[in-house]
Amino acid sequence: MISLIRSEIYKIRKQSKTLYALAAILIIEGFVIVSAYYQGAGIIDLLLANLKDSFEFKGNLLNGNLIIYLILNSLWFHIPLILMIIISGFLTSEYKDRTLETVMLQPVGKLNFILSKYVVSIVFTLLIVLLLAVSTFLVSYWIFGRGDLVVYLDGLNFFKSDEAFYRLIYAFVSGANSMIFFSVVSLTLAVILKDATKTWIVSAIFLICSNLLLKIDFQNEFLNELFFSKLTDSWQYFFYYKIPYSTIYFKNFMLFGYTLITMIIGIIIFKRRDIQV
Amino acid sequence: MILEARNISKSYGSLEVLKNVTLECHKGKIYGLIGANGTGKSTLFRILLGLIKADGGSIEINSQGIKPIGGIIEKPALYGYLSAYGNLKVFARSQGLNLTKELYSQSMQQVGLSIKRTDAVNNYSLGMKQRLGLAVALLNNPDCIVLDEPFSGLDPMGIIALHELIKKLSRQNQITIIISSHIVGELTDLCDTLCILNGGEIIKKGPAAELLNDSVTTYKIVGNNLEMSEVLQSINAIFSKKSAFVSPKMISISEILQKLIEEGQEVTACIPQTDLKALFGGEKI
Repeated sequence: MISLIRSEIYKIRKQSKTLYALAAILIIEGFVIVSAYYQGAGIIDLLLANLKDSFEFKGNLLNGNLIIYLILNSLWFHIPLILMIIISGFLTSEYKDRTLETVMLQPVGKLNFILSKYVVSIVFTLLIVLLLAVSTFLVSYWIFGRGDLVVYLDGLNFFKSDEAFYRLIYAFVSGANSMIFFSVVSLTLAVILKDATKTWIVSAIFLICSNLLLKIDFQNEFLNELFFSKLTDSWQYFFYYKIPYSTIYFKNFMLFGYTLITMIIGIIIFKRRDIQV
Repeated sequence: MILEARNISKSYGSLEVLKNVTLECHKGKIYGLIGANGTGKSTLFRILLGLIKADGGSIEINSQGIKPIGGIIEKPALYGYLSAYGNLKVFARSQGLNLTKELYSQSMQQVGLSIKRTDAVNNYSLGMKQRLGLAVALLNNPDCIVLDEPFSGLDPMGIIALHELIKKLSRQNQITIIISSHIVGELTDLCDTLCILNGGEIIKKGPAAELLNDSVTTYKIVGNNLEMSEVLQSINAIFSKKSAFVSPKMISISEILQKLIEEGQEVTACIPQTDLKALFGGEKI
C-alpha cells in the first residue's frame, strides 16, 4: 500500500497537469489581490456608506485580513472545481490511456490500488488548501498589511486583527474538510463514469447543485441539518461574532461521514467491476 | 503444467463470447491462439490475466512466484509522459519491487532497449513500446506471459525482432508464452502448439506444424515457364505470372514436384497455402 501511494505521488509529480492546477490556484489568488488592490477601497466605501454617517472608522479596512477572507471565499466554487477536475483526472487518465490495465496486470490488489488513489487525493487536496492558505497569508499581509476585518454575514461583523487571524486559519482548516469531500466525490464519479469529460461535467453539476441546495430551505429539519449540501459551509461559521463551535464540529463530523460513505461506494464499485477500459 | 484453464465461459448479455474453453499450458512452451476478430481471444486473455471475471470455469496457475502471470493486452499501455525508467519505476514500485540501476539495466537489456534514452515514452515507436511493455510484464519474473496481438501495427523488421525476443524468453528463461493473432502466418514459425478459436470455442488444438499441414489444400509452385508444363495442365493448375497454384487430390505434392523435375521444369519454390476455412472449421468465423 505504501509503495502504491509512493508510486501515485511520483506520477502526480511528473504530470504537467499538476502544475496547471497549482498555477490555476495562484492565478485565482492573484486576480483577487489585484482586483482588491484597484477596487477594494470602493467596495468598502459602498459597504459602509450608511455606517460612515453614524460612526467614525479608524485605520484601513482594506487590509490583508479582508483580502484573505475574499480569497477564502474561492472555497465556494473555484477551488473545489479545480480540485474535482484534477483529482478525477488521476483515475480517468488511467482509463483513457489504458494504464489501469497495465497496473492491474501486476500483482496489485484492486482494493489497495483504489484506496491509494483516495489517500493520495486527500493528501493532494490538503496540500492545495495549505498552499492557498500559506501563499494567501504571506502575499496579503506583505502587500496590504494587517488590520481589523469587516465581514458581511447576516449583518456587518467586525473583528480585531489578532482575532481575525485565528478565525481565518480555523476557516481554512474547516474548509479543507469540505474540499476533501468534493475531491472524494469527484474520484468516486471517475470510478463510476470512467470518462474524463463526463466526469468533469457531472462534477461541475454536482458542485453547482450543492451550492444551490445549500441556500434552499427544505422545510424539513432532518434534511436542513443532515443533507450533505448543508454541511459544506462550516468554514463560514467562524465569521459570526460568537463562533458556534458545536455546529461546526457537528457539520464537519457529518461531512466526514459523507466523505467516508462516498469513498466506500467508490471502492465497492471499483472492486466489483471488471477492468475494462 | 503451468496454467490450466477449464471450461471458461463468458457472456455479455445474450452474446456468448466464450463457450467452455479449456487451455492447458506447459512450462517453457509457446502457445498460439488464432481466431478471426471478435472470436473471443482478448476476452479469454483478460480472463486469464484476472482483468475480468469468467461466468464459469476455473483457472489454475501453478506458480510460487509473486507474479504468476504477466502480459500485454492489445497495444502496450504505458505512461507516455514518463521515460522508460519512469515507467519501469512506477510499475515496479506498485508491486513492491525496488527498481535498482542493475534491475533497470537488466530489464532493458532483456528486451533489447537502450538505457541511454531518457525522453518520454510518447516519443517511442510502437515496436519500442512493445518491448518496454514486455519489460514491464517481465518484472518480478512471471512464469507465464500472455501477449494479445503483439505483432499488430509492427513493421516486418519489428515482427522479426519480436519473434526472436519471444523465442529467447521461452528458451532461455523457460517462460510459458501464450500469443494471440488473427494472422496465421505470424504464429506458424513461432508456436509449439496452436489453438484455433472460433465462435467462442476452441475447435482445434495441436502441434503448430501438424495443424497447419492438415489445413493445407493448395500449394504455390514458383518457377519459369510453368504454364508450358503438361503435368500442371493435367491437374488443372491455376497459373499466375511465374507461379502456379495446385490443389492435389489424386496425387501428392511430392509426386507432382518429382514429375515436374522429370519434365525438365525449373521449380524454385513450393509454398503451402493454408486454407483458412479449413483451419477455422468452416462457416463460423
